[in-house]
Amino acid sequence: MQGLRSGMPSAIEVHGLGKRFGPVRAVDDLSFEVAQGRVTGFLGPNGSGKTTTLRMLLGLVSISEGTATIGGKRYADLEHPIRHVGAALEATSFHPTRRAEDHLKSVALAGGVPLSRVTETLETVGLTDVARRRVGKFSLGMRQRLQLATALLGDPDILILDEPANGLDPQGIQWLRSFIRNQAALGHAVLVSSHLLAEVEETVDDIVIISEGKLVLQTTLADLASQAGSGTGMRIRTPEITRLAEALNAVPVAWRQIAPDTLVIDGATPEWFGPFAAEHRIVLYELVQEKGSLEDVFLQLTTGFDAPRPVDPAPGGPA
Amino acid sequence: MIAVLRAEWLKLRTTTIPWLLTGIAVIITGLLILLYFVNKGGGGPRDRTNFGPPTPDIPHTTQQLRDLLGTGVGIYVFALLLGVLIITVEFRHKTVTTSFLTTPHRTRFVAGKVLIAALTGAVLGVIVLLATLLGGGITLAAKGGSFSSLANQLGAVAPGLILVYALMAVLGVGVGSLLTNQVAAIVVVLGWFLILENIIGGIWHGTVKWLPSGAASAAANVSTGRQNIGLFNWWQGSLLILVYGLVFAALGSFLLARRDIT
Repeated sequence: MQGLRSGMPSAIEVHGLGKRFGPVRAVDDLSFEVAQGRVTGFLGPNGSGKTTTLRMLLGLVSISEGTATIGGKRYADLEHPIRHVGAALEATSFHPTRRAEDHLKSVALAGGVPLSRVTETLETVGLTDVARRRVGKFSLGMRQRLQLATALLGDPDILILDEPANGLDPQGIQWLRSFIRNQAALGHAVLVSSHLLAEVEETVDDIVIISEGKLVLQTTLADLASQAGSGTGMRIRTPEITRLAEALNAVPVAWRQIAPDTLVIDGATPEWFGPFAAEHRIVLYELVQEKGSLEDVFLQLTTGFDAPRPVDPAPGGPA
Repeated sequence: MIAVLRAEWLKLRTTTIPWLLTGIAVIITGLLILLYFVNKGGGGPRDRTNFGPPTPDIPHTTQQLRDLLGTGVGIYVFALLLGVLIITVEFRHKTVTTSFLTTPHRTRFVAGKVLIAALTGAVLGVIVLLATLLGGGITLAAKGGSFSSLANQLGAVAPGLILVYALMAVLGVGVGSLLTNQVAAIVVVLGWFLILENIIGGIWHGTVKWLPSGAASAAANVSTGRQNIGLFNWWQGSLLILVYGLVFAALGSFLLARRDIT
């Protein structure tokens, strides 16, 4: 199947995916695609089902309904899966007394990957100096890097990263961004989850937004940005608010008053409003162009839901 | 399969558990030998029912020497614990996520653990045996016996003891694959082998040969001090432990295959 937008083949396909934990429907009829050579942001508030979806995709959590495939195959059916898919799920899954190098060696041996990759990936993530250190002594940021090294070990075409920015310092986040962009530049598909759009805004090409385990929107970042742009408006402060209101009522624009001396005109530009105000000889104290941010759109799309709710309105609330 | 074993061995030797267990097993072995000689070699600490004719100060009959050299059979619980820890450590530290990503077929994952448990269990058996030979042999020589009289019994004792350790470690993996909570698994194993099994065997003598400890005694061909209750022969005993281990491991794999790793 071809990707919807990019024209490149889909690396990951999710169709009608569902997961029930008892009465809780954590993921519900979810469908989306991840294209090869692009970075897809998998976004949703905490508890919206992102991690469950990724774990179903990776065969760690059983699927209640639907399918989740990688290159057309279920994860468990891949021969030496870590050569195809690299996954970094959580920063805690290391044995504390094991050295970073030994951790990677054990994964390489079990996964059918040459041991030379251990040194290479340690270098890629910048952990060469601490290769012989026990992971128990690692900071959260170093663990995240070691997770990434683990994911990269099999030199996979597809990377799945669950909240990789958690615990990283600003420098680390900057490094992570360029790392992800590099992966896409190499032609790899990257699916990266986050509960903050701002965190991945500079990195992703495509966006999948879920809320309450359901798909809200699959789109490109460019489309989302233009949606955000449509929220553009002018904020105007004037001592002659009544006259301005009368003048605006005569033209087809939407506006609203937000303070005794201030109003906002939707979709207006300074190029239009400047001459308009001059024509009506209205005195202005302040004229500001307002841009709706991507984060506003994101919040608008996902607002109000923090956790999946029971299918039945049973007493007890969310589990 | 070699690669899987290398991976499992690397994982195992980079944790503290096997070293700690081995150290404790050797120390306990030393204490048991000490106890044996303090007991004046009257058939060893396992033979408390021996109220027969006065025994000499040092073991000299073939059976006495074999029982001394087979001291480790009585503490095969260390091999069992090794097996339990080999698999439950993955759940305790959540490394199982990475393991299942690397090896999605969970039965294959359990099979890898079974194999490495059998191998390292055997190694633990060798170490305990060597500790017994050294400690027992030197004490024996110091008391006027000879080191070689003990060493001569190696051929009779070693295969059974090493086999018991390998099989018990497999049984441990089986138990651990069912009870993945490390603390719970250890409590259950110790509770069963130190308390429950003795109670059951004490009440219904006929069950002893079916119990893991009875099977272990049969497999290692050492006297239990309760000869009259009847044990299987060595291969029947070995087979029984193996069957227990594999049944548990199969059940564990079956349940693990359906389990959500969250």
